[in-house]
Amino acid sequence: MSRNKAADPLLNHEYDGIREYDNPTPGWWHVLFLLSIVFSFFYFLYYEVNPESATNESTLLAARVAETKRIFGAVGELSPDEATIQAMRGNAQFLEVAAGIFIGNCAQCHGRDGTGGTGTNLTDDEYKNVNRLEDIYSVITRGAGGQAMPAWDNRLSQNERVILAAYVANLRGSATGGKGPEGKAIAPWPPIPAPEKN
Amino acid sequence: MSATSSVTSDRPVHAPVNSQIDHDPMHGVEVRPGPIEQFTYDDAVVRKFTFAILLWGVVAMLVGLLVALQLVLPVAAETVIGGVRPFAWMGTTFAFLYETEWLSFGRLRPLHTNAAIFAFGGNAIFAAVYYSTQRLCKARMWSDTLSNLHFWGWQAIIVAAALTLPLGFTQGKEYAELEWPIDLAIAVVWVGFFGVNFMMTLLTRRERHMYVALWFYIATIATVAVLHVFNSLAIPAGALKSYSVYAGVQDAMVQWWYGHNAVAFFLTTPFLGLMYYFLPKAAERPVYSYRLSIVHFWSLVFIYIWAGPHHLHYTALPQWASTLGMLFSLMLWMPSWGGMINGLLTLRGAWNKVAADPVLKFFVVGITFYGMATFEGPMLSIKSINALSHYTDWTIAHVHGGALGWNGFMTFGMLYWLAPRLFQSRTGGLWSKRMAESHFWIGTIGILLYIVPIYWAGITQGLMWRAFDESGALRFPDFVETVMKVMPMYWLRVIGGSMFLLGMILCAVNIMMTWTLRPSRYTEHVQSAPALGPVYRDPPTPGSRLHANTEFGHKGDVFLQGRWHRTWERLPVKFTVWVVIAVVVASALELVPMVVAPMFSTTWREKNIPRIASVQPYTPLELAGRDVYVAEGCYNCHSQMVRPIWAETKRYGDYSKPGEFAYDHPFQWGSRRIGPDLARIGGLRSYQWHVEHLEDPRMVPGSIMPAYKHLSTQKLDYNAIQRRVNAMAMMGVPYGDAVKGSNAATMAREQSESIAAEVATQGGPTGLEDTKMTALVAYLQRLGTDLHAPPPADAGAGK
Repeated sequence: MSRNKAADPLLNHEYDGIREYDNPTPGWWHVLFLLSIVFSFFYFLYYEVNPESATNESTLLAARVAETKRIFGAVGELSPDEATIQAMRGNAQFLEVAAGIFIGNCAQCHGRDGTGGTGTNLTDDEYKNVNRLEDIYSVITRGAGGQAMPAWDNRLSQNERVILAAYVANLRGSATGGKGPEGKAIAPWPPIPAPEKN
Repeated sequence: MSATSSVTSDRPVHAPVNSQIDHDPMHGVEVRPGPIEQFTYDDAVVRKFTFAILLWGVVAMLVGLLVALQLVLPVAAETVIGGVRPFAWMGTTFAFLYETEWLSFGRLRPLHTNAAIFAFGGNAIFAAVYYSTQRLCKARMWSDTLSNLHFWGWQAIIVAAALTLPLGFTQGKEYAELEWPIDLAIAVVWVGFFGVNFMMTLLTRRERHMYVALWFYIATIATVAVLHVFNSLAIPAGALKSYSVYAGVQDAMVQWWYGHNAVAFFLTTPFLGLMYYFLPKAAERPVYSYRLSIVHFWSLVFIYIWAGPHHLHYTALPQWASTLGMLFSLMLWMPSWGGMINGLLTLRGAWNKVAADPVLKFFVVGITFYGMATFEGPMLSIKSINALSHYTDWTIAHVHGGALGWNGFMTFGMLYWLAPRLFQSRTGGLWSKRMAESHFWIGTIGILLYIVPIYWAGITQGLMWRAFDESGALRFPDFVETVMKVMPMYWLRVIGGSMFLLGMILCAVNIMMTWTLRPSRYTEHVQSAPALGPVYRDPPTPGSRLHANTEFGHKGDVFLQGRWHRTWERLPVKFTVWVVIAVVVASALELVPMVVAPMFSTTWREKNIPRIASVQPYTPLELAGRDVYVAEGCYNCHSQMVRPIWAETKRYGDYSKPGEFAYDHPFQWGSRRIGPDLARIGGLRSYQWHVEHLEDPRMVPGSIMPAYKHLSTQKLDYNAIQRRVNAMAMMGVPYGDAVKGSNAATMAREQSESIAAEVATQGGPTGLEDTKMTALVAYLQRLGTDLHAPPPADAGAGK
């Protein structure tokens, strides 16, 4: 590139006055071009021919397993019964996880604070399909009201649905106002258990 | 006129005019030169294309500005500064931008892209090709009639696009939206008028060898024809409605093979041809390296065509195809930079001219943006980077760096160089060189003010979408938060885009004023050159330069010396055939296993697109709703593709599988998330929510989505639904008895009534029976639900 341009060999043809030099292609250009080809060859071998290599799916699965272990590793599988949901109502760590699930999946219809929108108000004493704590789990799992409340069993794991049920139970009485009552008033939940040590 | 002669003799002073070149080893012998012939160039058609560039440039950028404003105005109205809402007036003043059916973002954005690429860019290509080809061939265009048919045909196509796209007639494939009658017209104009005229001009040329610009034009014309025809194959289901013959994964593969190579062969190769002609002319310097031209031309043509799947990383496209897309994109880096190097190094020894000449300034910045974009392209196609950048504004910044910087600035440089010559300016120059200088600076700052904030916005979105908090939940679960976060960046884009548009207007004024400097009658300069004789003897093939080596080595060395290419350069048909072979072979290596083989072989289908038993065709009403989705251009803001990435499955649900799209003609995966992904939206919201949200999206605070109130009043055409179901069935979608009589129409009516009743029961609006609203909501409620549905006992229509 820094070559004295007087030394550039000019080709003896012209097109409408345009001339061309017979300069060689730059060396670094060749090197990078060849490197990209060599790299590509081995990359393809490694990822597409080698059966042991990671795939998008295996990477995702590993992330899911690691994350599940990180969050729920200590408790294993939570069973969707009244005792477990009641215990979770006092577990600050899992309630925080559940809050994230609620904001991400439920707030669109039930409001960020649970006071309702197109979905029912979860902070009042009236419920349409719930009498006991585990009914909350069932409604989350299987949905209700035709398709109005969707089923979440394909989207949330059982553990996530259990702690979400606990979170939703705790929403009751946490705010005032919002959407008017639907369904019938039910007996109050048992008191929230004392916080567990994490 | 002395001024005229000064602009028309562009011959660099150092260029030899002699014909004593037989001693040159690159030159063969004209055994029997033809008689000297006299001819003129057709500059009238180039002038027409020039006017078209100006008109459509202003239109394309105006629409761009409009859609950019549509992304900021709704939230601006809600912005609270110091306790007041200073921009509240915008909400009411500009409400029509969100409520007018044919002004919605989803319909105008394709108009913007099509106008920028095919109207502004297209006419720029044609002006460059028609001006330079005649001079490089020493021949007038073969047929003035074809030239004019090409010009008027292309403008008619643009007008048809400008009318049909806002009205919602679209095939729903990006940069290939135009409906089938217009697609046919494009094929006729491109191949029948442009292609034939160009090839015949090559065949009747008086210059023995073809200059590198012509190689790039050949590649452009041949490849765009192939891309357009195969991507646009569709079954008509009405005068302005058709369905892509490909479905789902295959449609995506073909579309991005087309889409990426539209970038390659519509926005790159013709503009490289433009560069190779106009840059050395303007700089009056020889091209840096003939050999580099050869190497980068062929590597570009062969490698580019593979790169399309990098638009589909982490999608349901089989991984091997995505990997090929990434690797060929990496290999494309140097072939692309070959063009940049040859352009910039041509200016060696002429940099003093760059300071003085706005034409060269535009070219230098244009080529620099080409270099940046072609570095960034390979980088973005690296999977792990793409995982962050895809669906964000990063892509938008990337393409605008390319489109405004490379295509825009190369076009402006060409226009400013051409105008005094085309219009035979009385002053010998532009109307105002200072105005061109101002355009350069306003445009350059405009580009930077556009792309830098949009890069920032893109990276911000990408990072926000994947951010988790300690508890393992998404930090920004509300999608709309990630939109509101980048609003300031969107405002800066409005400013940058406005500046670029202002520059375009200055350009139009300057060129039109230069036009007023034309003589009362244009002089047609008579040229003379000998016709090509029937016999040409190539120079002897050089021997090997190697001493001790194998025969293979010697052959290789002779090949590397490239004399064979010199021979090809005088054989336009052979040259074209080899370009087509390079492009078709490379395409086939990807498209045959991915698209063709699965049509005929269950083994290949199961390998690439495994069937899922529970995935069934859309019901007739859902199909009609899908048509509404396509017509409204929902895919311009919403993807339908959950990638197998943890943050993504956390936000949207299970990742998308290839078999889920088996009946999607066309695919609607999208390429940008201005709104959230919709692949798994089915069943997630109530019918009532969808209806109320579509009628007034502002019920989600911060949402910038247009309103679709008109869908609640527009009635469905049940006869059209029957025709469309029948068209789908023709392509093998198992609709069973739905195709008989008016069964599909009846099924659609029943479903529409039941959804209207459901909405009313849930407390939503009443009286929605037979409206497009019920169809769209039916479609949305179906999306992504088949994966976990029980497989049907019988293979009837719908679920």
